[in-house]
Amino acid sequence: MSAWEEFSIDAVKAGARDAAGRLNSVLLHFVENCVSCALCEINCPYTPAGEEYGPVEKAEPLRKILRSQVFLAAKILPLLFGARLPRSAEEINKWAELAYRCTNCGLCYTTCPFGIHSGTMIQHLRYFLAKTGRVPTLLKMMMELETSGNILSAEGFSRVWSELLEKLRGLGVTFDRKGAKYVYLPSLAEALITPGAVIGTARILNKLGLDWTMPDKPLSIRAPIASLVGDSEAALEVTKRMIDYVAGIGASAVILSDGGYPYRFLRFDAPALLAKPLGFDVVHVVELLHEALKKGALKLKGADQKVTWHSPCQLGRMGGLVEEPAEVLSAASKNFVELESHGFFSKCCGGGNGVACVVTPTVEMFEGLLGTRIPISEKEKVFMDKLYKDMLIASKAKVDEIKKSGASVVVTACVGCVHTLHLASKAYGLGVEIKTLPEFIAELLPE
Amino acid sequence: MDLLDLAIYTLPPYVVAIFAFGVAYRVSRYIFMHKRAPVKRRPRPAPKLLIGLVKTFVDPLILGARLRKSDFISGLILLHILGVIPVIFLLGQHVAMFSYWFPPYSVLRPLSIPSSATSPALTLTAPVKPVSEMSWTYVESVWGPLTIVLNGDLLAILAMLGVMYKLGDKLWRAYRKIIHVRLGDFTALLLLLAILVTGFFATHHLPSGDVPTYRFVLGMHILLAEILVAALPFTKFWHFVFGYWYGKLHEWYDLKYRRGAL
Repeated sequence: MSAWEEFSIDAVKAGARDAAGRLNSVLLHFVENCVSCALCEINCPYTPAGEEYGPVEKAEPLRKILRSQVFLAAKILPLLFGARLPRSAEEINKWAELAYRCTNCGLCYTTCPFGIHSGTMIQHLRYFLAKTGRVPTLLKMMMELETSGNILSAEGFSRVWSELLEKLRGLGVTFDRKGAKYVYLPSLAEALITPGAVIGTARILNKLGLDWTMPDKPLSIRAPIASLVGDSEAALEVTKRMIDYVAGIGASAVILSDGGYPYRFLRFDAPALLAKPLGFDVVHVVELLHEALKKGALKLKGADQKVTWHSPCQLGRMGGLVEEPAEVLSAASKNFVELESHGFFSKCCGGGNGVACVVTPTVEMFEGLLGTRIPISEKEKVFMDKLYKDMLIASKAKVDEIKKSGASVVVTACVGCVHTLHLASKAYGLGVEIKTLPEFIAELLPE
Repeated sequence: MDLLDLAIYTLPPYVVAIFAFGVAYRVSRYIFMHKRAPVKRRPRPAPKLLIGLVKTFVDPLILGARLRKSDFISGLILLHILGVIPVIFLLGQHVAMFSYWFPPYSVLRPLSIPSSATSPALTLTAPVKPVSEMSWTYVESVWGPLTIVLNGDLLAILAMLGVMYKLGDKLWRAYRKIIHVRLGDFTALLLLLAILVTGFFATHHLPSGDVPTYRFVLGMHILLAEILVAALPFTKFWHFVFGYWYGKLHEWYDLKYRRGAL
């Protein structure tokens, strides 16, 4: 029997205790101040896949768990307050279905009349589920590989990374150079899915004349994979490794080109997790571009194509860079058009927070890369297939917006978004070019 | 001592004590569980942050009005804005009662609203005030002709419709086995409905005009309201005192002030 099928009341109780131990004032507010008005449903990308996938519903299992552990009134009257632990494998499986239909995009946060972020609660629910054996196998494998620190031990990964390094050497990139002011930290996921972003970033950094270097081995598969399953301890281990590397170089800032959760994690979550400042700044390459264009230090060749910007939730709404990427693209193309839901309320692509990572086509892609079959139980296979169907439903709103914009190029800055948009584009026949922002801008750099 | 005497003269100190304990319990947890996050904030101009603060509160209302009209009209307009908020705080009888318990509350007397559309006209033309040291007339009301709408009868009926809509919505969701619906949702809404109905009945001397029945219905109305106040820090009614304000201010601080998402 695989861990996905098991039900152990001891594991459930231990998981509930651990989840309760993570309570802080902000999580307490998220858990106890929801009045179940369900307004969050209107903006969640997964509500179109089913009413049961609205944020209030997906966060409810964590509320049930925490009420049963820490709330005085709920402990006295559990039925009245909805306080209890799961009672069967079927129930936990259902909770896993809910937890992996959340992209942590933050739209529920900004839509909620009470400022409740269900996505944060769902991350904690994922942690509880991991403790009861519900972690998608691919995520678990990647997490273990990343925590081991020996990411390139897989031959397929090592090959892709070496090919990327060869191209970077051709651009004059130096690796692990002590004393550099900036450290660029691309992840293995970028090498696998958006290698153009890494090459583009290297060209931009060279053009800007920055004193920079990068590691010759990836420090993460995608800045801690463990944070996708809410495993703070494992995430902390990987983070410390990254901090040690930057400290060893003596750099004052880290540059990222992945504007997905790695940016948000390093910029905002990691200092909170460590309970101390990182000791260096974290900047996204778009910030450097924005500043250089504003100061007139960089001129771009104008692009002719009709281009639009899909704002990754973790870079825009949750990362604070809402206007900057659009301003960079406006400077790069006269034919820049905004999507209908641009800005602070930009719609999610539907595949963030590791969702697109655990669907069947991605698992097949990794099987091809690694040249081996990933052992997945029948039950998990059903889970993955249904998740893929729902992910495509969730991405439909974004696909429709892109179609409506008439753009021929969609620019974004997140590995997950690129991967999801490719899957959605294939499913819905979108027929647009999908590029990362560094890749797009690098093509417009003057000779 | 009947129910009315019990509710007005005996229970209030106990209700306040339970309420105060509950507030201390809930607020202290926020203080003790606070963890500092040493995150470097992204600087943004103060005027933009101020606009961001207003938008933090207003955005959900706009989204609700656009994308979930039934909830916006029933839950927000009928139940909250037209219903319970003005009825609780400004209904003439409530202003009188709260002023008795807490004299500075009488500062709101000029804003008080009458119990029905006709009652201000009666008090306006009435030759005498009721014989009581606490009495005053609605001649002092600032609402004038607006009392056609701003009166207890109409607002209470709108609030009852709002509560019944929410009850229906919860029942429909429970029927479809939506797990976030819990027993406490129904008890909270039923308590609110019972307070509104008994208040309406007491105002109209229903179900009969005899004094014992009136005193019982009014006593029940006040008792149920006291139960709500005592339960407030332990139930979802807490949103009204703390959750809403803390939640939106925290969201602004987190997303706009700290992360700079404007």
